Amino acid sequence: MKRGRDEENEVAQRAGAEERARLSRRAFLKGASSVAAGGAAVTGFLAEGAAAAAAASPGTSLAGKVDVKLQINGVEHALALEPRTTLLSALRHHLARPLTGAKEVCDRGNCGACTVLVDGRPVYSCLQLAVRCEGRAVTTVEGLGAPDAMSDVQAAFVAKDAQMCGFCTPGFVVATTACLARHPSADRDTIRTELCGNLCRCGTYPFVFDAAEAARDARSASNGGAR
Amino acid sequence: MSTPNTRAQSAWEPRAELTVLDRDIPRIDGPEKVTGRARYTHDVRLPNMVYARLVLAKVPRATVDEIDLSAAGQMPGVVFVGVEKQVGDALVYLGDDSVLAFVAAETPEQARDAARAVRFTLSPKSPVVTREQALSPDAPAITDRGNVRAGRGPRNAEEAQALLDGSAFKVAGTYTLPVQHHVCLETHGCVVDWNAETKQATVYSSTQMVSGSADMFAQILGVETSAVRVVCQHMGGGFGSKFGPDLEGAIACRIGQAIGRPVHLMLDRPQEFQMAGNRSGTHAEIALGCDATGKLTAVTGQVDRLGGMGAGSFPGLPYIYEAASGAVTRSVHTATDSNRAMRAPGHPQASFVMESALDELAYAAGLDPLEMRLVNAPNDTWKRHLGVVADAIGWPAHPNKKAPGTPDADGWCEGIGFGLATWRASGAPGAQAEVRIERDGSVIASCGVQDLGTGARTYVAAIPAEEFGLEVARVTARIGDSSLPAGVASGGSVTTGSVAPVVKQAAHVAREAFEKRLEETTKVAPGGYVWQRGRVRTQDGAFDVSFGDACALLGNAPVVGTAGFEESKHLLAEGRLHGAQAVRVRVDTVTGRVVVVDMVAIQDQGLPLNRLALRSQINGGMVQAISYGLLEERVIDPELGLLLTDNLESYKIAGAREIPRMRSIIDDEDTRWAVTGSAEAPIIPGHSAIANAIFNACGARLRSTPFTPDKVLTALAARG
Repeated sequence: MKRGRDEENEVAQRAGAEERARLSRRAFLKGASSVAAGGAAVTGFLAEGAAAAAAASPGTSLAGKVDVKLQINGVEHALALEPRTTLLSALRHHLARPLTGAKEVCDRGNCGACTVLVDGRPVYSCLQLAVRCEGRAVTTVEGLGAPDAMSDVQAAFVAKDAQMCGFCTPGFVVATTACLARHPSADRDTIRTELCGNLCRCGTYPFVFDAAEAARDARSASNGGAR
Repeated sequence: MSTPNTRAQSAWEPRAELTVLDRDIPRIDGPEKVTGRARYTHDVRLPNMVYARLVLAKVPRATVDEIDLSAAGQMPGVVFVGVEKQVGDALVYLGDDSVLAFVAAETPEQARDAARAVRFTLSPKSPVVTREQALSPDAPAITDRGNVRAGRGPRNAEEAQALLDGSAFKVAGTYTLPVQHHVCLETHGCVVDWNAETKQATVYSSTQMVSGSADMFAQILGVETSAVRVVCQHMGGGFGSKFGPDLEGAIACRIGQAIGRPVHLMLDRPQEFQMAGNRSGTHAEIALGCDATGKLTAVTGQVDRLGGMGAGSFPGLPYIYEAASGAVTRSVHTATDSNRAMRAPGHPQASFVMESALDELAYAAGLDPLEMRLVNAPNDTWKRHLGVVADAIGWPAHPNKKAPGTPDADGWCEGIGFGLATWRASGAPGAQAEVRIERDGSVIASCGVQDLGTGARTYVAAIPAEEFGLEVARVTARIGDSSLPAGVASGGSVTTGSVAPVVKQAAHVAREAFEKRLEETTKVAPGGYVWQRGRVRTQDGAFDVSFGDACALLGNAPVVGTAGFEESKHLLAEGRLHGAQAVRVRVDTVTGRVVVVDMVAIQDQGLPLNRLALRSQINGGMVQAISYGLLEERVIDPELGLLLTDNLESYKIAGAREIPRMRSIIDDEDTRWAVTGSAEAPIIPGHSAIANAIFNACGARLRSTPFTPDKVLTALAARG
């Protein structure tokens, strides 16, 4: 999701003036440390334990919680969160009634299973700090529709069987919703490009594209369009 | 309450009479999935639940010098820490043997912090992670039985060699496939809810074996099987890697019993890559010959299965085709996680070796690759399938049939390739089902089977709907729970062949019982009724009521039909499944880039229960084969033994831009009017067809997956 990452940068810039943004996102993200990810490779081989202990040493500003008000699916939630909490974790773990539609698959912006809309634009919620989302409208897959009141995109996903195991499906539904909002007459190639930030393992892509086209055509027909 | 089982002989209705099955049935759990309401194991949230996390070593072989949990135990929110390895223990391989310790805390963030605070020091040993390292004369023994284990064959080495020597045409080559991962988007794990007072547990598990894993969790927990209930309503992919609790399940049980709180333990993505399964790699050095007409004579050579600590999978040569075989297979062990079953275990590897060699032989013999397969396909179904996909992909009008094409002005060329698919049509014993009809008109079909995304839940509802002439939405399917009548483990495409027959039989028994009850009112014996369009009537039409009104006649005793596998076997398709795939690629001879532009599959299936879900399944096979062929490769640093491909930015799988035009054709000429599953066959030949299409396009013979640009350019240079 190239736009997702652009969005991420844009958000980071916009929030730069805010007080909380003085704290670097990279330093905060999940208590990032030298032991995370690639850094573990060589140090881990030589002295993995020592590196881990160093990483966990106190004195960083990770401790403590801040009050955050999040607008999620039109409802305001007052939460006390550690600053490093991602939007994905806030949704899945820190709400009184967790919203588990957005999935944690890679937890580092590779797969799109955690895609949500922030102010109408798709973002990877695993790459978004919850504190940065204050004052912005967060829409999750649950906010797009319910089983007995599905959105047109959701209904098209069911009709076209654009899902198998379904674990990637919420991310694809949100990304497709954003794609059609941005490109109401998207052709198949545009749809493929817009959805290239989301991964599916079962291989539902062809029917996801069909569902996106079906939703597009239904909207265009109901608008009296040519199709 | 229960109705005697009349053991009635049931049958699938002829195609013309079906009103529900053999059609596109949108899956009944679709609305839950697309709205984010479907609750997977990852999503289970229980009161007072803690989040557990494993701590893994990153080197394959080492001795544990120090392990210290004291800092971790003092981290905020931590409720439990424990070790899996002690000081002095040996780490033997990269995989679940890498688990050193585990922690549990109030939040996932706290658990992550605590895992990082576990102190340990290791003395690494030489890695032994490649085939070459394992076969080196001074290599340490990775298993008690050494690093090489003899396997199958040769059936008749001398005869095969003589036939090969006398062949009109021969090719020889080395074909290799790296280890692939399942990459289930939902990682492995479970939530264990242990009740210390009642000594009972509910386990939410992401598993392909709901019914069978209750016993395995019970053994870990030290209780009777009846004290454990396993639940899996939805699961985020398995592909053969999710049978049983595994080490992470055992650890979750240990923590749960120690602290008396529900424990949520799911692997993270790097751990999933390191310890949760793979498709074995292959190193094959073979020779293949044919006579002057292209008919295969013999195959010889050696195939190494690279399954890490496991035996690896490879079904033997000449795979689908027929020829004398002098080929030997053996296992070469490395200090890496054991291979697990993965969608058609061994078959995509054998397909690549055999279809590639066959293709090389075709060009050597002056035949086009389609002719070569038509000469050698073992039966008429495959020959017919080849014709269908060849026409669909545009082979008849294709210009370069017997020699590679030439690049256009921009350096691109286009080619077509083929491959065959197979599997066995079968079911497994043990499945049971119950179909129950209540006075209020509710119809409930129950079987403990899991739905991996195949659509099992939907056919559990659709089959009784067909039997009673109802809409699918009228039937409630209860699945994914070990407290229901037993399902089967979902492996080897047996689920549909096991579960659909017992659901059909149970529905049929329920219908007979229902008709017997109606006899009191109608004086018409069972067998004299028609169930259609939501109504039931006697054949003479004297009695004709809605389904709901008929149910109201049942009084206080519901109708219950049950069935097991033995009395349902006649509803199961037997024999072999067939398929063929064709692919069109474009190759950029300047950069080596390969683009798949069109792909066609045909698959026979007996009675297709749900044409929509079946096409999804076939699409899925093709997509995974594209991914396997173009992108997927586990990479372990041979010097340090570190897994370098431990997340989705380094271990690539196919995304939307890799997906070509794609057509899944259901073979409606299959006259077997019975059911079978279809997960395996469609995944087998796609990457082989891509390799053959690359050669047809530009003359670059790719003998090693994945077909990355560097390999294409190297092969182009080697073309001479």
